[in-house]
Amino acid sequence: MSELKTPQELGTEKIGKLLIRYAVPAMIAMLASSLYNIVDRAFIGHGVGSMALSGLAVTFPLMNLSAALGSMVGVGSGTMISLKLGQKDHKSAQMLLGNSVTLNVLIGVLFGVFSLLFINPILRVFGATDVTIGYAREYMTIILAGNAFTHLYLGINCILRSAGHPNKAMIATIGTVLLNTFLDYLFIMVFHWGIKGAAIATVISQVLAFIWQCFQLSDKSELIHLQRGTYRLRGDLVRNIITIGLSPCLMNVAACFVVLLINRGLLKYGSDVAIGAYSIVNSIGFLIVMMVMGFNQAMQPIAGYNYGARQFKRVLKVLYLTMFFGTIVTTLGFAIAEFLPGMCIRIFTDDPELTGIAMVGMRLTFVVFPLVGSQMVTGNFFQSIGMPGKSILMSLSRQLLLLIPFLLILPRYYGINGIWYSMPVSDFLSVILGVSLLIPQVRKLKKQA
Amino acid sequence: MDKHYCICIGRKFCSGGRNVAAIVAEKLGIKVYDRDLLKKAAQNTGFSEKFFDEADEEKTRKGLRSLFMNHLGTNGLSNNYLSNESIFNMQSEAIRKIHETEDCVFIGRCADYVLRDSDRLLNVFIAADVDDRVARVIRHAGESMTQSKALSLIEDIDRKRSSYYNYFTGRTWGDTAVYDICLNSTTLGYDKCADIIVSLAKEKLGI
Repeated sequence: MSELKTPQELGTEKIGKLLIRYAVPAMIAMLASSLYNIVDRAFIGHGVGSMALSGLAVTFPLMNLSAALGSMVGVGSGTMISLKLGQKDHKSAQMLLGNSVTLNVLIGVLFGVFSLLFINPILRVFGATDVTIGYAREYMTIILAGNAFTHLYLGINCILRSAGHPNKAMIATIGTVLLNTFLDYLFIMVFHWGIKGAAIATVISQVLAFIWQCFQLSDKSELIHLQRGTYRLRGDLVRNIITIGLSPCLMNVAACFVVLLINRGLLKYGSDVAIGAYSIVNSIGFLIVMMVMGFNQAMQPIAGYNYGARQFKRVLKVLYLTMFFGTIVTTLGFAIAEFLPGMCIRIFTDDPELTGIAMVGMRLTFVVFPLVGSQMVTGNFFQSIGMPGKSILMSLSRQLLLLIPFLLILPRYYGINGIWYSMPVSDFLSVILGVSLLIPQVRKLKKQA
Repeated sequence: MDKHYCICIGRKFCSGGRNVAAIVAEKLGIKVYDRDLLKKAAQNTGFSEKFFDEADEEKTRKGLRSLFMNHLGTNGLSNNYLSNESIFNMQSEAIRKIHETEDCVFIGRCADYVLRDSDRLLNVFIAADVDDRVARVIRHAGESMTQSKALSLIEDIDRKRSSYYNYFTGRTWGDTAVYDICLNSTTLGYDKCADIIVSLAKEKLGI
């Protein structure tokens, strides 16, 4: 969001106060999206069965891929729209909104149709077996049929945020989660529709959220609203949207590739059940990571503004404070995973075999989590002081560059545990990388302060 | 009608746009804003001038690198105030402020787009023959500059100016339809260019 006036308070107000004020809305949004994952998986695990959970986990890479394309259009058009609104160029902002709707429909439908045509081979590549493919296909067929709506809903939420309506975007996010929870319960527990019920619940809640968004955006008195004549794609706009959106898109594609490697590894050295166990460990990890991301998002404007204004003392202060909060969150996650793993896993399943594997996975994956908090904050810090290169290196190293080689090598020696090991090992190495990048930067800032 | 008028001059690299602007400004007794704009913007926001300089029109990163460096890691959720987009917005605000307080000539920096709603704006583009521009580059840079190096420098800077302008404005840099008048400084000479601009400005801007 580019606001025209840089809020003065960023340079004067107490850092702790600012950080909390900016963090709360960001955290709520982040929590909502990770709760969505947990709720879906919990209902499927308890209401349908542990094999269904594995079937669901097999579809993650495909869902990631779809999200990658969605984020391309969403971030691209969101950034462009806030730029145009900053210039009071409402006509162009309007055109961008219309174009992004068309792009979302186009990409959503094409991706949905293409994936449906090749659904069997795709799921096999992602780690489906004869046991799980039935669940995966049943779930994915419905999700893909509603794929265009998913893209529209997420894309418009990005735009609402950029157009100065972060609250409306938040209402849509939270509303979708609540609705999905209720429908999950209704379809799975009451109607016994099985995994299909979870998919239908997801699609219905997104369609309804999209309809609500359309109402919000049809108010003619608003700065930007849906308008006839803006939907025809314009080459220059599409090019700009894709140029900006390509990088977040590639990040998501990379995430998809990693999940694919993990799923296949778990299948090769373990079983279908292990894939389900990973989905449990993953949703708990995701929840913790997302909470740190909430603090990171709050840090961005504060650190960026003060760096620009050369108030380096305040820059360092917000860095330290965010690292402190980040570490508290990840340490809390660590403590729960190491000492109360059973409690977390019971949210998803009662199956003793699944619980056993998930317990081992959880304990191993979270071993260095207390350190991960500061690593994530460091990466984001570089982003917010205008050094995206270092920031990318850091986030790629933890999730991709360091992880992939270990994922390929360690299982050869340690079997399935090798896959769990590779996560803390790459986490630890990326912490070292982060520290060695951060220390010289902090020294420089201290000297200038 | 706006209180103050402005003349926005777009130009190809080494086409003498700045010389023409200087003559125009002298004749009308007004100020030229070129890189000074960045300084003004910096003063307004309390930001260091360095950031405006890094995001200036000839420094935008090119190609694949720009994709990765400028937007990787952005998620549209928060703004760190140091992105090229927000720097551009702050600079635009400085342009608007100057336009509100004095008559002046703006060189580049998309001022014509920023002030597009003004009814006292003359939008000019200055070009020149390539041979002439190459000769100018060599004259400025001295002995070490070769013919081919000068040519590729010209192409490079023009490309950067163009992608900067097109990205931020949605218009096409150097497209005749964007400007009120396009002049060739090789065939007309700086003085004649300036004369034409001044007389057009007097007629159109009600000076």
